Amino acid sequence: MAEKSLDFAREITSKHGGETITRCYQCGTCASTCPVARTTERYNPRQIIRLALLGQRDEVLKGDAIWLCASCYNCQERCPQKVEIADVIYALRNIAIREGNIPSIYTEFATGLMNEGRLAPISKFVEKKRPEYGLPPLKPTDIEALKKILTATGFDKIMFKREGASP
Amino acid sequence: MEEVKVGVFLSDCGGQIAKILDFEALTNFVKGVEGVALVARGSEFWRGEGLKTIVNAIKAKRVNRVVVAETVPKISEVAIAKAVEEAGLNPYLVEVIDLKNHCAWPHRDTPKEATEKAKAMLLAAIEKVKLQEPIEKAEFPAVKSVLVIGGGLAGMQAAEDLADMGFQVYLVEKEPFLGGLAAKAVRFFPTDDCAVCIQSPTTDLKTVTQTSRKCVYRSGFSEIPNLKVLTNAKVVKVEGGPGNYHVVVERKPRYVDESKCVACDLCTTVCPVEVPDEYNVKLTKRKAIYINKPLVYPPAYAIDAKACKFHECAKCVAVCPTKAVNLDQKPEQLTLNVGSIIVATGFREYDPSVIKEYHYDEYPDVVTHLELARMLDAFGPTGGVPIRPSDGKPAKRIVFVQCVGSRDRRWNPYCSSICCMISLKHATMIKEAFPDADVTICYIDIRTTGREHEYYYEKAREMGVKFVKGRPSEIIHDPATNTLVVEVEDELLRRLLELEADLVVLATAMVPSEDAKELAQILGIELDPDGFFKEYNAKLRPTETKLRGIFICGGAVFPKDAPTTSLHAHSAAVKAAKFLMNGKITKALKVAVVNQDYCGNCQFCPVTCPYGAITLEPKGDGHFAAKVSELLCEGCGVCVGTCPVGAIELRHLKPSQISAQIRALLSVSGTSKPLVLAFSCSECGHAAVDSSGMAMMSYPANVRVLRVPCTGVIQVQHILEAFKAGAQGVMVVGCKPDGCHYEVGSQKAKQKVEMAKALLRAYGIEPERLEMYNLVFIEGDKFAEAAKTMTERLEKLSPLQLA
Repeated sequence: MAEKSLDFAREITSKHGGETITRCYQCGTCASTCPVARTTERYNPRQIIRLALLGQRDEVLKGDAIWLCASCYNCQERCPQKVEIADVIYALRNIAIREGNIPSIYTEFATGLMNEGRLAPISKFVEKKRPEYGLPPLKPTDIEALKKILTATGFDKIMFKREGASP
Repeated sequence: MEEVKVGVFLSDCGGQIAKILDFEALTNFVKGVEGVALVARGSEFWRGEGLKTIVNAIKAKRVNRVVVAETVPKISEVAIAKAVEEAGLNPYLVEVIDLKNHCAWPHRDTPKEATEKAKAMLLAAIEKVKLQEPIEKAEFPAVKSVLVIGGGLAGMQAAEDLADMGFQVYLVEKEPFLGGLAAKAVRFFPTDDCAVCIQSPTTDLKTVTQTSRKCVYRSGFSEIPNLKVLTNAKVVKVEGGPGNYHVVVERKPRYVDESKCVACDLCTTVCPVEVPDEYNVKLTKRKAIYINKPLVYPPAYAIDAKACKFHECAKCVAVCPTKAVNLDQKPEQLTLNVGSIIVATGFREYDPSVIKEYHYDEYPDVVTHLELARMLDAFGPTGGVPIRPSDGKPAKRIVFVQCVGSRDRRWNPYCSSICCMISLKHATMIKEAFPDADVTICYIDIRTTGREHEYYYEKAREMGVKFVKGRPSEIIHDPATNTLVVEVEDELLRRLLELEADLVVLATAMVPSEDAKELAQILGIELDPDGFFKEYNAKLRPTETKLRGIFICGGAVFPKDAPTTSLHAHSAAVKAAKFLMNGKITKALKVAVVNQDYCGNCQFCPVTCPYGAITLEPKGDGHFAAKVSELLCEGCGVCVGTCPVGAIELRHLKPSQISAQIRALLSVSGTSKPLVLAFSCSECGHAAVDSSGMAMMSYPANVRVLRVPCTGVIQVQHILEAFKAGAQGVMVVGCKPDGCHYEVGSQKAKQKVEMAKALLRAYGIEPERLEMYNLVFIEGDKFAEAAKTMTERLEKLSPLQLA
């Protein structure tokens, strides 16, 4: 258990954004400043860090908690140990995604990006509104070029790893 | 010069090491060395009959240089030096080496090679001692007088100790009154009695009992013989050196003559100016002429120059019955001649305004511990009742927030160490006086590590103080109810709480006094990264600094509770007394000397010297030359290693002696293994070599050790010289970089090693032939391992041919 927990901590600190996780001394400032934790018991940043440092890899990566962070960075601003908490959560999400633990909404975003060139489709109504705000009409996306980039960077392989998922 | 006659005394450890080393061969070898007049063998030479042999040879003028091969490290060196000196020979003309722990034991598996190495070691010692000149002792005056800076708990106690011992003491305090933090803190744990009491003077004064402690104001402090208190005063300049400083102290005008004021209070009744009283955390007002009540020394009023209207008003002058008020008083400068200086400038509360989420500067009902302490003082602004400063109503719900600005990488990363106890003390004081008060302490960890401290925690729980494990993220003010809301996660329940409070008390970090940086510069001593005064050695010399004659104590070194502060103060006083008690400083002049003709006024050495012992003096021709203070120089040789033109040398290790030893140690091989020269410092590095032998670790006999005072003395050319003289590899063994006995020597040596490696590479020589090691006594195994590894590494390389 001890060895395992160290392994996971080392894995996280080796990832971009995860470097500072071992500084945590569990003061709870993050939890009490977190707007998400205020609304749901399913998310508590302090607890995610504690689980991670205790090596509870599956519980952290397969659970839905890490996906509930709203990235407001309140916790990161106030952490007395300068743990980059929101960034740690991103690092954990990156590990989860590479292992196929991807909530379906993200797969949907990715599919949209691959097929339409946008995360979400733009409605005709919105398009019509643009001139009213003095905005130029939207240019069509070069889907082929985008696909090239996304394939070259391995985005497609990472995002559609989960069984049955396809762009 | 007198003809050099070296006596060589070989101890075989009761025959024990003669089983390994061939003493007959050693004796014959030594007899053949030029300058050797006498060779003797015995079982020990550092005491008893053996030592008498040495003493008699000196007295009979048969020898005037001595080399002893002993088997007991360090102690033998001290004992022999002492005896030799008594016999009339300068102790620096003696060289003691350790054939047991540096040769016989580590190389016991290869006795022939060990014997050859022993020859090299003896030859090196003989050549070194032949070139050594006597080093005489010098005396420097030491004024039996001490300056203590800071009139708080630490400074007052150190001052009193020293005055009691008969030293003339000057106690300088920047405020108009003594007492420091203690005067404001009301009660101190763990005794819960007045914060302002100190030990009684041991001087026999009427009304002062020796067994008791006394308040500052009734301890007879001012009447202690030899003690002069200077309030409103500040150190602005220090000249001279250890034993004989000239300190310029500037005194701000008090505008009231201490010797005339009878503290009748008439002046405050007529003074028309009212300002917020800082002593009472601005909860009350005071006049421009004032005194802090009731605990104060000196018992004389002072005028606040920022508030007073002076001659526009002058009502106090008119009313004063003793004509004590003098509005024309000017700042004055005094020069004090002291032998030593004690820094006792204490610590202060951190201003928590920077922590925006706690709104200290916005919400009046968010206060610090010191502010609460004033409220809990029965003589204080609220008569002992904790109130809401916003409306003056009693505070019924009080929340303490721990670690405010401390243990916080954004502000002060360290734990201030006393705030948990202050909160427990204040919480129990409140519960004792107001049992119905709702008191909560929000904490990350409760630290009660001192004697009796845990009982405070126990007592607080019994009294109903609530503890929430969690650090609040925000304090919010509800204007509708004038209530504060503390947002915190109760981690143990995993529940978010909103604690309602009338008063929130911030247990703020304790930080160094504002003047610490300036004072450190004036005195030439260092601060640690957190801004506290840095001690010479945290473990063994907690109240000394790297400068002889300057001592530190109390909260100036780190936040402390009262018992530890007292201990520290007494320690500093003893150290200062020990330093000055003889009225003189006697010191052997094993120092650096500068060849003025070579010195090229480059400024390297004055900057590098860890002791500020080197200054640049004008030569008269527009150039400057370095000058070493014999008093300040510790003889480490870091300057020697730094000087780019070789203009500095040590009297106890001249360049010719280093060269002679390099050649001697490499002149006798007797081994098929590649010769390695290991430069080791005399401190931790040499101790590691000692301990590897003492623990009977083995390493090959091709590794030869050359002892230098500090690795900082080593120049790149010494390393190259070793290679030229036949070394296939060079090791440099010094202290830990942050544990060097001469502060920077080990780090400087590392730089030299890196430079030498670059040079070797340029010459086409493998840089891995050279390595630096940082070892301590308990790492003798690492020395043996390094010696083996280096040898194996060199065996894989083709031999170096530099001839």
